[in-house]
Amino acid sequence: MNHNQQPGDGTHEDDAALSDFLASLMDYTPTIPDELVEHYLAKSGFQCPDVRLIRLVAVATQKFVAEVATDALQQCKARQAAVVKDKRDKQQKDKRLILTMEDLSRALREHGVNVKHQEYFADSPSTGMDPASRDE
Amino acid sequence: MSDGGRESEREPEKPARQKRAGGDELARAAARLAVAQISESQGFQTFQHSALETLSDVAVRYIYEIGKTANFYANLSGRTECNVFDIIQGLEDLGLVQGFLGASDIEHCLANSGTVKELVQYVDEAEKIPFAYSLPQFPVAKDRKLTPSFLQIGEEPPGEHIPAWLPAFPDPSTYAPSSSRIERSIEPPTSKIDQESHNRKVERSLLNLHQRLACSGLEGPSLVNHGDATKAKQAVGSNPFLAAPLQFGEKEVSPVLLPAKVKLLNEAIMRNPSMENHGRDNHISVLEALAPDIEAMESRLLDSEEKEKKVLLNSRPAVQFKIGIGRKSLGTMQDLSLQKKSFEVTSPWFGRENEKDDKKMRAEKILKESMGHTQELGHL
Repeated sequence: MNHNQQPGDGTHEDDAALSDFLASLMDYTPTIPDELVEHYLAKSGFQCPDVRLIRLVAVATQKFVAEVATDALQQCKARQAAVVKDKRDKQQKDKRLILTMEDLSRALREHGVNVKHQEYFADSPSTGMDPASRDE
Repeated sequence: MSDGGRESEREPEKPARQKRAGGDELARAAARLAVAQISESQGFQTFQHSALETLSDVAVRYIYEIGKTANFYANLSGRTECNVFDIIQGLEDLGLVQGFLGASDIEHCLANSGTVKELVQYVDEAEKIPFAYSLPQFPVAKDRKLTPSFLQIGEEPPGEHIPAWLPAFPDPSTYAPSSSRIERSIEPPTSKIDQESHNRKVERSLLNLHQRLACSGLEGPSLVNHGDATKAKQAVGSNPFLAAPLQFGEKEVSPVLLPAKVKLLNEAIMRNPSMENHGRDNHISVLEALAPDIEAMESRLLDSEEKEKKVLLNSRPAVQFKIGIGRKSLGTMQDLSLQKKSFEVTSPWFGRENEKDDKKMRAEKILKESMGHTQELGHL
């Protein structure tokens, strides 16, 4: 079904491109499994028997998560570059890239998701320490 | 992914996690796994627990939002099943925060949408990372075995009012033993309640009523589900509290021995027939009537220590009914108490009982007993 009633080859081409894309989706296995996507789509009221659409949603979500992860990675690297002035021990430890809540909340804020989290919970001895230096 | 690092932090967090378990645990765990795989492909080596959970939660909500928006657009177009174009419109709505090519176009073909192009680009560039596990279809829907109807069984429904196409009643053996089970569960409470009523006879009727209600509540399901009259009678017969009350004279009961004080009161009442038992004047008139008796008893019975408690029981002034004007009654009571030991006035509790003679006598008895208890406590 077309929302746009434009006649002409342009529409057909776009449609063809779209259907080709959907066909190519069947070859591409998204990281997010189909069953998971189906479960949550069913929860939201989405009804469609077509598998290609589920793959489409899975790919879109994967793209979204990848973008957020990339932004968070950039934040993490920027932070590491600022901390380089310390001893060598810390430099070597900092080679490990850790997804932290701070970087994640900054990255998500750009995507419109507001995530605020507690600074610390005073329930363990390593409370309040720099997350990069915590043993994980 | 570093699982070694996770283990050390897992122990303190595990109890908290178990509390949060909902019906969605499998889906959430799978989402966490998928998100971790994606992040790893982007370059992350380790994750904070909370960060991973947050990101997986956001991803789940993203899926949910796409589904909701797509459904909304489908409904807007008068359809119940979603379309590829509904999804594209949903993606556009969600992508407006970040922006995409052609977002500001007023009229554009959806197949040409910027979001689709970005997706195509992503699919071409990104490497394929399959999910680490193979998930089964979930949630698993159980096959419901419907109870067959009367027609299917070939039974005659009991009673003309029941049509044959309704599901049949279950086997009587499935519900017949339940009555004895309910009986057994009632027995401990009845003994307990008996003890309580012994202590507070005034509230006995209330307690019995309450228990009757509780019993009928317990019996309710078994009585309602099956229109079997014999079963109902069976249930009633097994529960003594649901049995019909005995008529007067049906059962031999031992005669009630009134203690001496009550006899005195009765005599006083008979002596003074004009005495009113209702209302606020009652209290003063009773006391006035009994004052000479009280003094007589007092002089007689103060010798032996054994009888001291009985003395207290007998030489106490009588009931305080319906003390509408509280101060008046307390004043008069305390006059008498100066002659004897002081006691607590527990009268207002029994105030309601004084409508008729027999109730009045019963209340007297109760008051004496309760006063006896309070006096004993006072001694201790």
